[in-house]
Amino acid sequence: MPETAAPIAVPHTDKEQKPKSKSRPDRGYLVICWNDPVNMMDYVTHVFQVIFGWPKPRAERHMLQVHQTGKSLLVRETFEKAEHYVHQLQSYSLHATMEREE
Amino acid sequence: MRFVPGPGKEAAEAVFTFRLNAQEEALLLATLRLYPVLDNGHHRLSKDPKTAGSAEQRLLEDSMAQQRVAHRKKLDELFHAPQRYFKSAPEPNERRLVLSSAQFEWLLQVLNDIKVGSWVQLGCPELEGAAPLKLTQLNARSFQAMHLSGQFQAALLEAVK
Repeated sequence: MPETAAPIAVPHTDKEQKPKSKSRPDRGYLVICWNDPVNMMDYVTHVFQVIFGWPKPRAERHMLQVHQTGKSLLVRETFEKAEHYVHQLQSYSLHATMEREE
Repeated sequence: MRFVPGPGKEAAEAVFTFRLNAQEEALLLATLRLYPVLDNGHHRLSKDPKTAGSAEQRLLEDSMAQQRVAHRKKLDELFHAPQRYFKSAPEPNERRLVLSSAQFEWLLQVLNDIKVGSWVQLGCPELEGAAPLKLTQLNARSFQAMHLSGQFQAALLEAVK
């Protein structure tokens, strides 16, 4: 079918030309939640459960790590997924960022 | 405001019911009218200063702005037709706040925006074990909003404990 044959003739698509920072396949991006004195412990636990689908004990473990040590590494992911998680966490007004793994 | 346990996990769709009196309903609505409080510039994708002004940082800000518009639209619907959320109850002076799972998450997000935004307006003070905040005419409203939104949020979270 011509519709499927056409893209093969084009050597470089827009997708291939995206900046490298947008298409890195490596899971070298860390999603970190930082402590603040305003978000309730139950709330943080609930948000982790909703966003990551974690069981309550795992969500509570990360929440306590945030509370006691000031931060918790939640997941190590690709750029796109890490960005997605940070958007999700910030939609709940949690202090979360993504950092490139050293 | 108190959570009313429902049929539980066997229900086809989770529904959260809370009982509250007329004064609590009025206070909840008055608190929600403050939304949004958190400034758009509050959101940072990374602590790396090189990402400030980046396309990814702008994407985050755009995403939060879009969410704010969607939340505000839902709030306007609530203010326009509160009976869609607040049902009459058999007890005198009591009401029932009935929320689907999606509405529950939405209300948590809205209340936390008000809470965190008010805390930021107060200068991000330490809250536990710190000296009491010096209240002035300027910050009293933020102080009240932070605590009221926190109270309603805590009541909501009773449903998922």
